[in-house]
Amino acid sequence: MTEFNLKELKALNYERPEIERGYANQTLYVNIGEPDIAVKPVTEQMKEIFIGGKGFDLWLLWQAVTPSTRWNDPENTVCIASGPMGGTPSYPGSGKSIVAAISPATGSVMDSNVGGYFGPYLKFSGFDALEIQGKSDQDVVVLVDGVDQCIKVFAATGLPEDAYALSETLTDQFADGNPRGISVVSTGQGAVHTVMGCLNFTWFDSKRKRVRYKQAGRGGLGTVFADKGIKAIVARWGSVSLDSNKPADKETLRSVGKAYSKEIVGLDPKQNQMSKVGTTHLVPIMNDFDLLPTHNFKFGQHPHAGLIGKDVYKDIFDPGFDGCWMGCTVACSHGVKDFVPLTGDYAGQKVFVDGPEYETIAGCGSNLGVFDPYFIVEMNFYCDAYGLDTIAVGTGIAFVMECFEMGLINESHTNGLDLNFGNRLGALTLVHQMARGEGFGKIVGQGIRGMKKVFAEAFGADPVVMQDIGMESKGLEFSEYMTKESLAQQGGYGMALKGPQHDEAWLIFLDMVHNYMPSFEEKAEALHWFPNFRTWFSLCGLCKLPWNDIVPADNQEEKEPAKVMKHIRWYAQYFAAVTGRKVAPEDLITMSEAVYNFQRIFNLRLGFGRREHDTIPYRAMGPVTVEEYESRQERYDGQLKEKYKVDIEGRSSEEKVGLLRQFREEQYVKLQDAVYHRRGWSNDGVPTPETAKRLKIDFPEVLEVLEASG
Amino acid sequence: MITLNGEGYSWEEGMTVTELLNGLEGDHDYAVIRVNGKYVSKPHFDEYQIPDKAEIYLIPMVVGG
Ligand code: SF4
Repeated sequence: MTEFNLKELKALNYERPEIERGYANQTLYVNIGEPDIAVKPVTEQMKEIFIGGKGFDLWLLWQAVTPSTRWNDPENTVCIASGPMGGTPSYPGSGKSIVAAISPATGSVMDSNVGGYFGPYLKFSGFDALEIQGKSDQDVVVLVDGVDQCIKVFAATGLPEDAYALSETLTDQFADGNPRGISVVSTGQGAVHTVMGCLNFTWFDSKRKRVRYKQAGRGGLGTVFADKGIKAIVARWGSVSLDSNKPADKETLRSVGKAYSKEIVGLDPKQNQMSKVGTTHLVPIMNDFDLLPTHNFKFGQHPHAGLIGKDVYKDIFDPGFDGCWMGCTVACSHGVKDFVPLTGDYAGQKVFVDGPEYETIAGCGSNLGVFDPYFIVEMNFYCDAYGLDTIAVGTGIAFVMECFEMGLINESHTNGLDLNFGNRLGALTLVHQMARGEGFGKIVGQGIRGMKKVFAEAFGADPVVMQDIGMESKGLEFSEYMTKESLAQQGGYGMALKGPQHDEAWLIFLDMVHNYMPSFEEKAEALHWFPNFRTWFSLCGLCKLPWNDIVPADNQEEKEPAKVMKHIRWYAQYFAAVTGRKVAPEDLITMSEAVYNFQRIFNLRLGFGRREHDTIPYRAMGPVTVEEYESRQERYDGQLKEKYKVDIEGRSSEEKVGLLRQFREEQYVKLQDAVYHRRGWSNDGVPTPETAKRLKIDFPEVLEVLEASG
Repeated sequence: MITLNGEGYSWEEGMTVTELLNGLEGDHDYAVIRVNGKYVSKPHFDEYQIPDKAEIYLIPMVVGG
């Protein structure tokens, strides 16, 4: 048992309010610098316009910061919220927490949607959202105890560094015989030394009798957490039932939840089998369609991809129920039992690893040119333990490896590390260095945008080449899908509010495989509808996966099968059953649109959010090198001849790379024009005052930002 | 004889996935199917020959990710 000490610095006893129709109607504010604890009311206007979850986070964050706030200023605030439906145990995917803060990677607003029990426990303890502001010069632990109705801030000494041991220790400390009633949010030492720190959110797996983890990975939210001196936040709550949210219409809630669960239980075994293989089913599918990033997004396919796909992981995963919230029948959050790492502090010891999911497999496997399933498990394990985002780590190291192979950097810069693609030990060594802030890993931990600067300024690497192959946009590393052949998905990444993460739009299949959206207008419509609908899940405290990863058997008969309308009708019923607010399916989009536009305006307020910020590296659009071009020559030659009517007779590959680039870059600009127009934004990507008015977000300070933004 | 989404379906020697899908009623847009537990994707539909007694599921993957 670790020797540690928790010294109480501040406490507040409070009277827990009754939950009403999914809301606690108050939020919790903790300033760890003072320290100070306060309870704030939730207004009807907040509920009407911002709904909850990410909407509440953004509204609170807007009040907390100024246009000049930087990520490591004390006023930057880590906001965590559930949503009105968060904590419903019968409806699959209803336990998400949404985190937001100003990001060290992008300098602008970041949000992340994460499983585990924290958000629901926070709400049932009496708070729709939590704001943590200030900075402490000692490690602090914040306890939100809904059982004993008190908030406490502790000074902590002697707690373990890594997220696994830390969460276990704190679960034991506060469980009082009921570990299932505890959820811990923490990060690790990697968050101290990099801009890609993630947050680990826990739940207690009663069957396996162990703490399990999900990550709010993107954009360095863990780095903000660590910079503030927060060691952990702990929520404590008792039992959960269908009544916990005090729904407006319990019978409808029960019946719609039951129908959804039953459908998933019936269809998942026939479809993607996520309850057995999680999201690893995507690996062979992406590979077959040339969409699985390999070697820093150069290619989309590899003959060894079968070694890291579902057929392998289904045997590696520990069998059992793996829902990251109570009653989620998709149950896709698998893990590996008795894994023995070969490196690091846990070398030779048996550990349980939560994951890997598709993104980690592609990012830390194929994108590094590694097709070893156990290496990926080890990368997954250490990233989580160190509090590092596996996507940023994977995409970041892939960039390093390509720079190394191109000779842009060499062993004199990497302190002797060989970082060719496929070097497993090199990649793991880098992760350990990143976590400790040592050696070359310290530079890698600054993310691709930071690395490009150091490689150019200190190592003399060519900035133009690095701009083309460095897979970041807005300062955030790309998640793991190839977009070269899907213009709509290039827009899905480039015009995503926070940076290139696919949670806003995943249009590759609709666009590239099914050709559902051939015109710019159709692509723009999709880039309006999908980001907005996907945003809605984060307003309500929900997981997106049950919506369209399990599809009703008769979906093809719907007018717009891509939207999975039957599920959307159920979601509208679900929302009304909890909140009592009657809504039609199309109203869900309007709710999201208000928050979506508010976030864009928030970006503007912080100096971002214009066309110039929505750019992507050319590697995301097409072949940067002759090697890439020639590997798919038939495809590219065909496009030049047939689509762009170019006579390529006698042209060299270099010339053809240049021609194709010109066309593809033009297409992206045209797509931006169409999308901004559809979203009700100016040609510079700025929401118009009319749009703000229509969405009822025309607050004076919002209009001020719009006016200042032209 | 094969099974298709859990129901019996007639089989012919040399039948490809494309031929199987063309024989189905109504509109469909399948890009991936599962044959005896393994995925077969659209790029291989024309050449992949379905074995006798295969257990096939049509995967309606439209907007995942
Ligand atoms: S679908 Fe998977 S990630 Fe989503 S709530 Fe259920 S178990 Fe968690």
